Amino acid sequence: MSSTDQNSQISDLPTSPKTADTDTSSDNLAESKSTTHFGYKTIEKDDKISMVAGVFHSVAKQYDVMNDLMSFGIHRLWKRFTIDASGVRPGNKVLDLAGGTGDLTAKFSQLVGREGKVVLADINSSMLNVGRDKLRDKGLVQNIEYVQANAEYLPFEENTFDIVTIAFGLRNVTDKDKALRSIYSVLKPGGRLLVLEFSKPEHELLNKAYDFYSFNILPKMGELVAKDGESYKYLAESIRMHPDQETLKVMMENAGFEQTTFKNLTGGVVALHKGYKF
Amino acid sequence: MQGSNKQALTPNSTKSSEQVSTQLSTLFSEGLLLPQAATSAIELIINKALALNNNKSTSFASINQKTLTLKLAEFSFPLSFTVNTVSSSTSIIVRTHVESSDCTITTSINTLKKLKANQSLTQLIKQDELDVNGDIKIAQQFANIVQSLAIDWQSELARHLGDVPTHKLLQFGNKITKSILATGKKIEADIGDYLVHEKRLVVTTSQITAFNQQAKDIANKVDTLSARIDKLFSTVADK
Repeated sequence: MSSTDQNSQISDLPTSPKTADTDTSSDNLAESKSTTHFGYKTIEKDDKISMVAGVFHSVAKQYDVMNDLMSFGIHRLWKRFTIDASGVRPGNKVLDLAGGTGDLTAKFSQLVGREGKVVLADINSSMLNVGRDKLRDKGLVQNIEYVQANAEYLPFEENTFDIVTIAFGLRNVTDKDKALRSIYSVLKPGGRLLVLEFSKPEHELLNKAYDFYSFNILPKMGELVAKDGESYKYLAESIRMHPDQETLKVMMENAGFEQTTFKNLTGGVVALHKGYKF
Repeated sequence: MQGSNKQALTPNSTKSSEQVSTQLSTLFSEGLLLPQAATSAIELIINKALALNNNKSTSFASINQKTLTLKLAEFSFPLSFTVNTVSSSTSIIVRTHVESSDCTITTSINTLKKLKANQSLTQLIKQDELDVNGDIKIAQQFANIVQSLAIDWQSELARHLGDVPTHKLLQFGNKITKSILATGKKIEADIGDYLVHEKRLVVTTSQITAFNQQAKDIANKVDTLSARIDKLFSTVADK
């Protein structure tokens, strides 16, 4: 399938309002009304989307290989854990937000069956194209839709989805509180949100080892394999700037989620947050 | 899911050591994502085996999107198998946690072995060795499909190793199997011989006890006879 053909089948990104929204102050204190973080840099909020897009356009084709290399394959187990915690059943409507190359979508598509539907949404067209090609190569076509969308302005009706997942995507969103509110809106009552994201390791020793790995080895691996060390430096920095477990839990509660819990995986390197809309 | 892992790591003082060790082992296995690693491996093996199935009549249509959950006493987590059939291709998805299952079987590996040995299902349920929750037909259909699988391991092996090495390997395997079977039969025959012939020649404990008793009786009789002879001698000497 040609690239033009592929692009024609992706729903258009709805125009995002370019206003600088006031943060609910759950995000890092250094952020102001008009600025946000891009790794360790403080930038204008309006610039973040294009800067993050630049990173993911650059790494899209090597994304899966790098994920396996960087996490020694453990990201597959983290995603499996997310599927196990999702409670997905035949007939469900699932939104895999920031779904990238479609690892979660592939499993959800098999589990919801013909009666169900999975929407793979990502703000980045390159990631979406790689994901769609991968899923089609696996023969997964019947119940998957592809939508290019910004998590802050989800282009779906209220109360649409039974499950929303966002795996390794929330930290790249400019206004996380707004994204959580947007997700809350599209979830059906009784639906659940699962946020799989890098977090803060529980033990100091692990934290130090993780820091050394992230800032010394990871960018070099990125340089060698994806020929892009800078993007992987951003990855390490963005992980450190992402809210820790308790802060994210509070942010979810502020957005309206109930029975919010989290589970640390691999010593807190990654955490899975779960919250319900009632 | 818990609010914090640290809370779960602090055992309640009233809990028994067994509960604490179970809690720690669960935390250890969950922390290392062992259940997910296990399901990943099991799923890979099952789907590889399905891809090698030569029995074209095997049909999963009746249990498409159905889930069978197995809770084994030996594992700290359940195993759920969901069938996904799209056109003619079927895959099984294995998970560790499912909120709604069409059929849940709670048992142990030992009981499953008994089932294989054709022990009655009802009998095992009565003995509380097996518990079935949900539609038992789902479990039966899963079992029937597993039994109907026909995999030509020899051809599959030849594809990877080549014809000659596979032939040699299987010959070697057959030799080893024959040799093990022959040794087993010899041991069986020897034991039979021993039981039929040799065992009869061996003096048993009861026989030794009886012999001892008989020897004692004879000794007593000899003593009595000796006393009578002594008495007779003394009578003759008096006269």
